[in-house]
Parts: sequence; structure tokens; C-alpha cells
Amino acid sequence: MRWLWIDTFTEFEPGKRAVAIKNVTRSEDHLHDHFPGYPVMPATLMIEGMAQTAGILVGQARGFREKVLLAKIRIARFDDYCVPGDRIRYEAVIDVIDDAAASTHGTVYKNDTAIGRVDLMFSHADKATADLDMPEHNFVFTDQFMDLLTAYNIQRSGGEGIS
Amino acid sequence: MRFELIDRIVELEPGSRIVATKAVSLAEEYLADHFPTFPILPGVLMLQALVDSATWLVRRTSDFAHSMILLKEARNVTYKNFVKPGQQMRIEVGWRGAEGAEVDFSGSGHCGSVEVVKARFRLRQFNLADRDPRLASVDRRVIQAARTRFDLLCQKYRQGEKAAG
Amino acid sequence: MAMSRDEVFQKVEAVLVDALGVDEDEVTEDATLTGDLGAESIDFLDIVFRLEKSFEIKIARGELFPDDILNNPDYVENGRMTSTGLQQLKKSMPHADFTEFEKDPSVSRMPDLFTVKAIVDYLGLKLEQSGKTAGAAS
Repeated sequence: MRWLWIDTFTEFEPGKRAVAIKNVTRSEDHLHDHFPGYPVMPATLMIEGMAQTAGILVGQARGFREKVLLAKIRIARFDDYCVPGDRIRYEAVIDVIDDAAASTHGTVYKNDTAIGRVDLMFSHADKATADLDMPEHNFVFTDQFMDLLTAYNIQRSGGEGIS
Repeated sequence: MRFELIDRIVELEPGSRIVATKAVSLAEEYLADHFPTFPILPGVLMLQALVDSATWLVRRTSDFAHSMILLKEARNVTYKNFVKPGQQMRIEVGWRGAEGAEVDFSGSGHCGSVEVVKARFRLRQFNLADRDPRLASVDRRVIQAARTRFDLLCQKYRQGEKAAG
Repeated sequence: MAMSRDEVFQKVEAVLVDALGVDEDEVTEDATLTGDLGAESIDFLDIVFRLEKSFEIKIARGELFPDDILNNPDYVENGRMTSTGLQQLKKSMPHADFTEFEKDPSVSRMPDLFTVKAIVDYLGLKLEQSGKTAGAAS
């Protein structure tokens, strides 16, 4: 399996807001443990879907210069669950970005009905977390994430949007 | 990809707390993408390990009364350090209180003495038959699978219990 | 619209309850962010973002929590603040109480300076400067 929890972006406003969707399908391995006999999309993987939507939005706004890492889930709340056949939509909006961190809020939709809220904080790892042991290079924005932006003709480097 | 985020239940006090462990291996598929040049346990899976642990605590406490136990809310989940292949995370979850079908927990993960994650969260439990009585057999299947899985996760615990009694 | 110190405290209390998940009664004037309220470094940033939103002001990075001073070799030596460093720190944190810290200015004790009172006093000064509190000159 791949660690890709969004299928495609449907909207992308650099520096502001992005919308991505994910289709829940019965052939996904992880659903067979959650739960055996009745597959339900785990809420944590919906949090990851939002984190990938918001993380790419934040990264692109800064030209992918920094490692954008999930540092805090301020709140993630779900009022319903998703099953195979459902289409999940993640709408992420940037609150603030600066050198050290970024904050986003977002809504999760199941087939166009709002079912959840996910508000996140990302750290720009180089600046904010100097004591963590990690590589110099930007290991976060791999090709598979960057490919998601190709459909939107979004520049892969030397980013537009706010800095 | 299997979706089982704990390897072993080490301690369990019904209605109170649970301690479990999760080892991280380079063989875990998602590490190939997270990240290819720096494999680390994804933050949401660290949270899922806490959620899984709490789920087993709920199941055991209610004697497997419900099939569905889902994460309703997570708050102030803070990531403090990475968990890398070869490390083992020790998860501790405390039962903070129940309100109807929902239960509140606080939890943390440690690798050795280093705290890597902490969170407050709420689970909700129900049966599919609550909304659709035709699904009662599905509930039974899910619950049976959970009982089997629980026995597997607790083997050490059970041996300890036998030795004491 | 003038804001009393009490009103400022209420808003700060609300921010800390949300950002740190603590109970209202844990947020006392003397409570330290890290020691008593369990704040991590990302929480400091979360608190600053929320205060900016709650008070409709801009807080420059390093203004409320001057962590950049710790990274300056002129100000820190063998894990302790030098006298220049201490002076600089006092200048950038007029809102903090240095009596206890001065007795043993180890870097590891710096988080003790970040009390709820320090935040409330910082905001008091900031709002006064922008003419938003009762203390503003008319």
C-alpha cells in the first residue's frame, strides 16, 4: 500500500485554501482490520488526508523550502463515519504561516455533507526543532506528493503565495 | 497493509488504564513512503496506537458489548519526537470518564524515557443493529473477531494472571 | 474599547485552556507554562497564534517568548546566562519577573519565566501601546 491518503486536488488557491478528495474502496487492505466483517474508514486516516491536503498547501506557499511536519492536532472531530463507496472531501484553509510554523483549519465532507473538523499545526522543522535528529535534505516533499500538484499546474519550486 | 497498531497488551485494569507496546519495523509498508529517505512512524499512526489501546480497554471493560468503537474526537495531540525503525513505543492510556456511549481518555507514548506523543481523545461505542436490526449478525462477527484478536494481544498478560492465581 | 486587566486574564485563560487542554482552575497567575501547564514548544507557537487572534494584535516572533536569545553565544555560557545575556533578556521581557531566575540563571530554568502573569502583563503593555486598555494615555 502507499501512504497517500488523498486521490487528487479539486481546488488549489496558492497560499490560501485547497480541496482534495479521497474515494473509500473495499479493496483497501487496512479496512479489513477495521473492522473484520464491516469496513469503516479509520478517523486517524481521515486526519492524515487533511494533513496531506493542508501540508502540501503550506509547503507550496513557502516554495517547499522547509520540511513541513505535523506537530499538533489542535482538534479533530468526527460526527459520522465513512464506508466503501463514500467519497471524502478535505477542505483546508491556512490560518497563519511564519518561519517557525503554520496553522490550518479544515472541514471533512462525506459525499458533500460536512461530518468533521480538523485543525492542525505544522512545524517548519529546520527552524522550530533544531534538537531533533533528522537529515538536512527535505525528505518530506517526495515525488508522489508533488505529482498531486501537476494537475493544477502549480509550480513545484520557487513557490508563489505568501512567504 | 494490516491496520493493527499495537503488538502486545502489557497491563490492563478495566475501567481504568491500559499499557501496550508497539515496535516499529522497517518492514512496515507505509514507511516506504513516510519517508523514503527518513522512515518514521506517521503521527496519525502514533495516535492510532493510543486509540487502539483505548479501544481494547473499552472492549474488555464492557465485555465486548459493542462491535463499533470509533474515534469521535482528538484534542491537543502533540508530537514531540520521532519513532524510528528498531524503536519500541510504550503506550499508556487512562480512562478519564464516560458519558453515555462516549468515553474520554488521556494517553501518551514513550520510547524509553522520551515522550513522543500525548493526546486527549474520546471514543464512541455502538452496535450496527442500533440503527438496523438486520445487521445484528455483522455485529456478532465483528465482536467475535475482536475477542480472538484480544486473546492474541494479551498472551503475556494471561500467563501472568495464571501465575498469580 | 478599554480592556481591564481582569478581562485580559479571562481571555488568556481561555486561550490556555484551549491550547493546552488544562482546566480553568489550573490557570493561576503564577502557573508556569511548561512546568505547571505542560506546554511543549509547538504549544508556545499555538498560544501566540491564538493570542494574536483573540486580541486582534500582531505579536512578533520572539517578542513574547524570546527563545532566540538562548541560541546566541554572547548571551549563554556553560548553560548559564552571561550578565550581558541576562540584561538583554530583561530588556526583551519587561513583562517577566526575574527575581527567582536571577538567583540561578541557568538556561534550563528559563521556562520558569513564562508564567501566566508574564503573558497577561505582556498583553497589558502591548494593548496600552496600541491604545486599547484603560491604561492608555488619553
